Amino acid sequence: MGSSKEAATAMTIGYFTTVQSDRTGWTGGLLVLNAAGRPLEFQCTLPIRPTRAHEILFGRTLSAHLISEVIGPTLLQKCRTPISLLCCAQREAINLQENLPNVTASPGQTSGATVVAILQSDDDDTASRADQRDLAGHCCLTLANATLLVPMERLDEAERVIAGLKEIVDAFEPFERIIEAIREAQSQMARAA
Amino acid sequence: MWFTKKPTPVVPAELSKADIASIEHSAAPERPALTCDIDESLSWCFSNHMDTDLENETIRCGGFAVQTQSLNWAPLQTTRVPIKLPALSVKTNGFLFPEAASWIPKTSAVSTPAIAGRIGGEDGTSSRVHKPPKRKFGKHARIKPPNDIVKLQDRLYYLLQPPLDLLVGSGQLNFPFEPFPYQLDGIAFLFPRYACVLADEMGLGKTMQAISTMRMLLCSGELRSILLVCPKPLVSNWLREFSVWAPEIPAMAIEGNAAKREFQWKATNAPVKIANYELLMRDKEIVLDSGLHFDLVVLDEAQRIKNSNNTTSEIVRAIPRTRSWALTGTPVENSPDDLVGIFDFLSPGYLTAGMPLPQMAKAAGDYILRRTKDMVLEDMPPKLFRDADVDLTPEQWARYEEAESDGIVHLEELEESLTIQHVFELVLRLKQICNFDPVTGASAKLQRLEADMEEVAASGHKAILFSQWTKTIDKMKPALARFNPLEYHGKIPHKKRELVIDQFKNDPDSQIILMSYGAGSVGLNLQFCRYVFLFDRWWNPAIEDQAINRAHRIGVAGSVTVTRMMAANTIEQRIAAVLEQKREMFDALFANPSDSNEPPSATAMQAAKNSPLSRTGGLTRDEIFGLFDLRAPSGKKVG
Repeated sequence: MGSSKEAATAMTIGYFTTVQSDRTGWTGGLLVLNAAGRPLEFQCTLPIRPTRAHEILFGRTLSAHLISEVIGPTLLQKCRTPISLLCCAQREAINLQENLPNVTASPGQTSGATVVAILQSDDDDTASRADQRDLAGHCCLTLANATLLVPMERLDEAERVIAGLKEIVDAFEPFERIIEAIREAQSQMARAA
Repeated sequence: MWFTKKPTPVVPAELSKADIASIEHSAAPERPALTCDIDESLSWCFSNHMDTDLENETIRCGGFAVQTQSLNWAPLQTTRVPIKLPALSVKTNGFLFPEAASWIPKTSAVSTPAIAGRIGGEDGTSSRVHKPPKRKFGKHARIKPPNDIVKLQDRLYYLLQPPLDLLVGSGQLNFPFEPFPYQLDGIAFLFPRYACVLADEMGLGKTMQAISTMRMLLCSGELRSILLVCPKPLVSNWLREFSVWAPEIPAMAIEGNAAKREFQWKATNAPVKIANYELLMRDKEIVLDSGLHFDLVVLDEAQRIKNSNNTTSEIVRAIPRTRSWALTGTPVENSPDDLVGIFDFLSPGYLTAGMPLPQMAKAAGDYILRRTKDMVLEDMPPKLFRDADVDLTPEQWARYEEAESDGIVHLEELEESLTIQHVFELVLRLKQICNFDPVTGASAKLQRLEADMEEVAASGHKAILFSQWTKTIDKMKPALARFNPLEYHGKIPHKKRELVIDQFKNDPDSQIILMSYGAGSVGLNLQFCRYVFLFDRWWNPAIEDQAINRAHRIGVAGSVTVTRMMAANTIEQRIAAVLEQKREMFDALFANPSDSNEPPSATAMQAAKNSPLSRTGGLTRDEIFGLFDLRAPSGKKVG
């Protein structure tokens, strides 16, 4: 990637996931890679702990709220690198597309904005009927070894982005990096505390 | 309600008189009638005389009085309890990383499957295809930051890099031959480190791992100038390996006269300069005082600087540099303090001589990567040891006994003036007699060798022979002439050595190569040989291991048979016994340092063998005196 012009048009792929533990709470991580899979930017949250009231009132929708309305939009807001395609590990991120910061004003014009995709994991076959209902309106695309669920209206754009990501051979692996990085950051914070 | 039986028939109340009459008419006249009376005293029914009260109501039913009570309640009030649900606030931490240049330009693919760690793919003697085992999910060759990198951003920079195996898989990182997974782990170990020892066992491809990492660091712009220091005989080997593993990186050997060397030292057209240890001494002023600075200095066969006091070590430590790597298959040859010498180059003062062993092993842990073939190459063919205890010929025996008795008498006569040198001379003399009778030239070992070589040649294989002396090699040459022996030792000029190796590889008639431990034990890849003969034993098993591993290394086509020749009941057996004892002692020491009272387990013993500190060997002064049951001049009897 030499010139800034090249860099501007270059494809970037974002990876977003959250890690939840009873001890620390919810931590989100966003890793932005270039088309070759090398890191450009990493954003992570400090652990957040929903209150008991959140747990009761959001019930089963708490994780979806945290992922697609709280942590996801915040990380994307802070991220300085434009992301062409955002891969999410969790199905709860399905509504993140609607909560993206700086979405273009007119609803018809979405080109240039991030395409949110959910990576379908192997155990998704057993997903509940409610989940399947949530995913109505999504289409499947293939990126390396993974199947991506992309909103139907963003399909063309997603295909264009994926065509520029030929050097990705393992679409799941960057999530491991995020988890490692979150662990590293938390262990540093624990040492500092 | 109770029913009493009466002779009158039971008549349903609803029936009319006409119906009854018809029933009575149709029924038999003598049939008894059934009637029913209600005992009101025992029944509940509302009677006409009920006491009613709005609030307290009493209902009298038959003989019972049931009282009910009504209470007046105030109407229910709705109470609002507000629960505040604060919006969850999120604090973030962000890191931007420099986007380095793409890793490695593409190299032309090699048509024949080749083997990692081997030079070239052209020799057809070992055409076995090595398929590197597939990695399990989540077991990637990741670059992990070393402990001495503290800043979170720097640590994350390494942690977030793509795993090397995926870079290889995607074609971004190219190698002429597919590396083994453990070699990628080695590269991932070297890549982020500013000070480290790659101490893999001989034959696992330290050269390839070092070159590939240098290549990646150069291509990603992290390094610009590298100095590689190796023993003189290995310079050409390194140049060759660079042309194989990093063809796009210009590497320059520093050689020639003083003026040429000075020009080469200062040249900027080659990012990699290769110098030998001896030359470093001669060019000390240029290297240290002319303002040169290297981003990385790599020492091959770094055991050369185990003694911190020698001049080589002092010069090497003074080279202005940013990163320091040491490559060695035998980081510890004689004592754990050897490691201190190497660390004086890497990180001066980090280890100190006399440090307790467990503490030293713990401190050095993050800096050393040591793998053995047993650990990484499960499918590596076995290395078979065969101790050939040879009975000396009568001539040799006579000469040996005479020399030993005369020698010991002489040593005893020396008394206080006895030095280790005297004992050493006697040992060497006896060992030489074990090889050849100096008068008649008789040799039991040579007879055995000839017989074994007949077999080796008949099976179409090749053999390497090691000896301590070039004179021994000269003496055995005539007897081995039919096997077209080639020589590789200190007396063969460096320029010719390359040709000798090429001829040995390619000439099917050359079935044996005769090598000295000094020249042939390091850096050569002769894995097409299936037989190794140790005509005499070296003082230090680590050197013997180095020699054996010329043949038993990656790419070896089958098992390697090592024949260790020893003259029975002679000094050779006594030395071997002492060395074996020492090795066992060190293995046990490193097996279970925390609890020396318990016998070490088999696993722990294995782990100890793999420990970089465990490969020890040489004889101490007292042990050498002990070989002849002599007293050291200090008066203490040993052995």
